Amino acid sequence: MNGAPQSKLLWLVSIVAITAIPLVAGSYVVGVMCFIAIFGGLAVSMGLLLGQAGMFSLAHPVWFGLGGYVSGILALRGIAPPWLGSIIGAVFVGFVSYIIGAPLLRLKGYYLACATFGLLLIVQISLGQLGPLTGGHEGLMGIPPFSIGGFVLETDVHYYYLSWALCLACLWFLYNLMDSRMGRAIKSFSDSEVAAKSMGINVPQFKLKVFTLTAVMASLTGSVYTCYLRFAEPGIFGFPLQVQLMTMVIIGGGKTLYGPLLGGFVVMWLKELIHMYLGKVLPRMGAHVDALFFGVLIIVILIFMPGGLSGWLDRLLDLGRRTFGKTSG
Amino acid sequence: MGKPADDFLLDVRGLSKHFGGIRAMSGVTFSIPQGSIISMIGPNGAGKSTFVNVVSGTHVPDAGEVHFKGEDITGLPGHVIAAKGIGRTFQLLELFDSLSVLENVMVGCHTRSRSGMLACGFSLLSALKEEKRIKEEAMESLAMVGLEGRAHDPIYRLPLGERKLVGIARALGMKPKLLMLDEPAGGLAAHEVEGLARLIHLLVERGLTLFIVEHNMPFVMSLSRRIIVLDEGMKIAEGPPEEVRANEEVIKAYLGEEVC
Amino acid sequence: MTGGSIYAVIGICWSLVYLITKVLNFTTGEFVMLGGMLTWVFRTAGFSLVPSVLFAVACTILISMILERIAVRPVRYPNEVTYMMITIAGASVIKGLVLLAWGSETRRIESFFDTEVIHLFGATITSQVLCVFGLLVIVTIGLSLFLNRTLFGKALRASAVNLTGASLMGIDISRFRLFCFGLAGGLGAITGIVITPITFTGYEVGMLTGLKGLVAAIVGGWTMTGTMVAALVLGLIEGFGAGFISAGLKDVFALLIMILFLIVRTMNFASRAGRGSP
Repeated sequence: MNGAPQSKLLWLVSIVAITAIPLVAGSYVVGVMCFIAIFGGLAVSMGLLLGQAGMFSLAHPVWFGLGGYVSGILALRGIAPPWLGSIIGAVFVGFVSYIIGAPLLRLKGYYLACATFGLLLIVQISLGQLGPLTGGHEGLMGIPPFSIGGFVLETDVHYYYLSWALCLACLWFLYNLMDSRMGRAIKSFSDSEVAAKSMGINVPQFKLKVFTLTAVMASLTGSVYTCYLRFAEPGIFGFPLQVQLMTMVIIGGGKTLYGPLLGGFVVMWLKELIHMYLGKVLPRMGAHVDALFFGVLIIVILIFMPGGLSGWLDRLLDLGRRTFGKTSG
Repeated sequence: MGKPADDFLLDVRGLSKHFGGIRAMSGVTFSIPQGSIISMIGPNGAGKSTFVNVVSGTHVPDAGEVHFKGEDITGLPGHVIAAKGIGRTFQLLELFDSLSVLENVMVGCHTRSRSGMLACGFSLLSALKEEKRIKEEAMESLAMVGLEGRAHDPIYRLPLGERKLVGIARALGMKPKLLMLDEPAGGLAAHEVEGLARLIHLLVERGLTLFIVEHNMPFVMSLSRRIIVLDEGMKIAEGPPEEVRANEEVIKAYLGEEVC
Repeated sequence: MTGGSIYAVIGICWSLVYLITKVLNFTTGEFVMLGGMLTWVFRTAGFSLVPSVLFAVACTILISMILERIAVRPVRYPNEVTYMMITIAGASVIKGLVLLAWGSETRRIESFFDTEVIHLFGATITSQVLCVFGLLVIVTIGLSLFLNRTLFGKALRASAVNLTGASLMGIDISRFRLFCFGLAGGLGAITGIVITPITFTGYEVGMLTGLKGLVAAIVGGWTMTGTMVAALVLGLIEGFGAGFISAGLKDVFALLIMILFLIVRTMNFASRAGRGSP
């Protein structure tokens, strides 16, 4: 169901466009686009978990944060350079998510959401409380920048390419995955668990694998993020982030893989617009005005366009395909 | 023609299952010989679907044993039992609506391939080759039920009769030894039921053993070698169709009182 | 103990809405906040205590019903996840509006009665705390009377058990839902008002308290008595936790308990019923 020739073209165009942007746009745009790669990429892995695999986990920021903290702490203490720290962080997160996921994923729907929400708050609070290790509430400062074989990434543009490389790599991996027997299995058990089991699919194991996979992706993204900011703080990795990710998934559409990335694009730029225009009128608000605005937007979209932007786009494409040619495989 | 014990594909002894206070199944015992068509009938609520669920691993029995190909499979999880060679369809279809017809059947072939997360994610050559093979196998199963023309259609476009066939093709994907059909004829028009009967014979010719749970009496009578009758969770009769049809207990169970 | 009673009432709010409408209403916490906040607003506008309270409660009920009308009812493909996101979104909106309108400082209103402190059984209790208890008692008695004795109440309970059956009997589901939302709004508001003299109020208050009420409801299995017991236990544990370990981590306790409980619960079911029901 992912027409191969079309998407190869689309991939090429996107890669070219993304590579070209820093060459033509100023550092402000590059900065925003960099964040889009990071948070949009995060939203993609979350979208997979939520939209395709049907697991309502509110704990995504946990993996994001843990990855960032682990690589940050290791780099700060001089134990491991950031690129190695990211990998260590990813392994650590993979391990933790596997262990925690096993019992947790037995919960369904609401209960899973509540439990993972609890996890989110626990981790966030703990990060703030473990002063000596994590820098407490003020967080870690002065995290060394990413460096690969002697080349130090310092400017926005460098991190732009790094984060987009990571984001696109994850996206590519996920596209392959969903197009294969694993992807079919995932879609099958979210449609009918009992039927999937009767086909020999070990559903609990699968759910755990998907959970761990998305956690690892989030962790890597987190490591890049904290290196970019040179800073990590518990406040970033909390519920508001989760809500922001969900907003991206909802607006962009959770049934497709690229939807959340598109949602990320929309959300981040809308945020910029809001700050530009309303920032003068309401100087003190910041994050909460966003929350208000996006809250309304979520409600509107969930009611009128439940498939999000990508759902709407896909339906258009489908219509186009059917009008101008047969629906062939 | 005394059949030695391991000529029975499926052997069920004293199987019981209750949900809270309801005894859905009590002490059910019988065997299914290889290569036969055995049916189970009974009034509503008799425990037929429970039986299928217990054997296929969706439920764990409270008492009794299930042996498949001589091996004790009692209480094993559903996906393990499926991999051992028991396939089933569902009364309520349970098709994968977000997948096309072909993809539904390809899920059935899941156990016949091995590529893991990483192999699929990185699109390794081995994974791609397996994918191709599975696609071919799935098309074969679709062809067997006569739906190869609908391979790429989404499920919602198919009428009920064809959806049931997809369910069967999907179960065939696993190349099972025993296929359990849960009310396959329900809601089908007469010609579709005929087609189903032909399909069943075809499958038996190919070496499958069929176990059919059904309401449609003529269908069942014409096909089966033996019929098991369940009522209120207990087996009340077993034998060739003519015997069962004339059995007083059976008539009473269905009609609720004696027919004079 | 106070914590416990608070969580109990909030837990009941969650249960009420969830049982009838299958919606996990994340704005429950915000209703609590609104109760306190709005009372402050009216107080500073010059009204005396009682009218302020009444207005605040009325406004919250209104807001809750508006929420139901514009955000919950029109959903086309109702499923748990969607409802959850919508109510979370709704909570954000309410929080944001409050922040916009009245800023981010915490506010307080004064205790209801003049006698500040009472000595009871050797412990020092403020009169306000008694109010909280009193509220709990009134609410529970009132609700059980309502649910068990009145026709309307019984109809509500019937819907909680079987929604389709109830609607087939001529019960108007959407009006029920509206009612439940309104009721939850009102109860939440009253709770918020009663606790504000003790714990202050501000736009942030909703989230954590609401969450603990949810924990109580879940652990209590969505029943009234269960929720109460769970909430009181929760309050006690929290109190001990704050005493023995650092106060900052006391919230962690509640959450850990909830998670462990949820997990243990599924394990029980899984092994017992042999995975399934007919």
